[in-house]
Amino acid sequence: MILELMIALSVGAGLFGVGLYGALSQTNLVMILMGVELILAAALVNIVAFWRYLHPDEPAAQMFVLIVMAVMAVEMAVGFGIAIARFRVRGSVEMEEARELKG
Amino acid sequence: MTGLTVQMIFLVFFGAAAVWFGIVVFRTHSMVRSALALLFSQTAVGALFLVMQAEFLGVLQIMMMATEMSVMAIFMVMFMMDPGGLGEMDMTHQKRLSLWAGGIGLLAALMLVWLPDWGPVALSVPGAHEQAQALGRELLGRSMLVFQSAGLTILTAMVAATMVAIVPNAEQRK
Repeated sequence: MILELMIALSVGAGLFGVGLYGALSQTNLVMILMGVELILAAALVNIVAFWRYLHPDEPAAQMFVLIVMAVMAVEMAVGFGIAIARFRVRGSVEMEEARELKG
Repeated sequence: MTGLTVQMIFLVFFGAAAVWFGIVVFRTHSMVRSALALLFSQTAVGALFLVMQAEFLGVLQIMMMATEMSVMAIFMVMFMMDPGGLGEMDMTHQKRLSLWAGGIGLLAALMLVWLPDWGPVALSVPGAHEQAQALGRELLGRSMLVFQSAGLTILTAMVAATMVAIVPNAEQRK
């Protein structure tokens, strides 16, 4: 049974590693958001695994999952809002070109 | 074959699918394929929830991600210079640093998973009906403030995203 917990947590670790690579290596804003989505998916897998194998009687863990899902939705909404605003001004969402705030 | 062994096989299968499609997101040059790969990865995560007997969360994850990734695919096509990936454009930077960061992050997370003693593991979970009932009581009881805060945050984000995205008129530009 402990092996199932380890497998689930390892999947979370894998998603976290891939998401971190994607968020750091991509130059396009939408692709960076995809990396962040994978990192949040890793958090979701870990929370559900902890709930299932360690504290199945604790509904607060499932509530945490709903909060992370809300964070995912917020991240997407704000990210796309910024992408649209930037695309209007510059005609591109390449973050390599976003240097306006650089001192 | 016992129920637990079957659960382990499905965990490995959907876990490998989630990670593999996550890798495909950043390997393909086609942005539409990237969005679809992320959709499959998130669906596999939803299937993992179902395998771990979190039925409500599994279905919620699959439904939410199907919608979110469809929207993302549309944005991809709108915003990318080469959405089909036919031009083989490279849209990456600091690849070596990112690979190191991702690799170190993965190793650190794996060490955190495999080194500690997690203590006794629960053998059974409440049924789907009891889970939904307990979650409902949790949301409308002890965690109501947190839940309402999440709702308010989503509303604020929706308003903020709309305000950022709308075209300013001539008077506002002055």
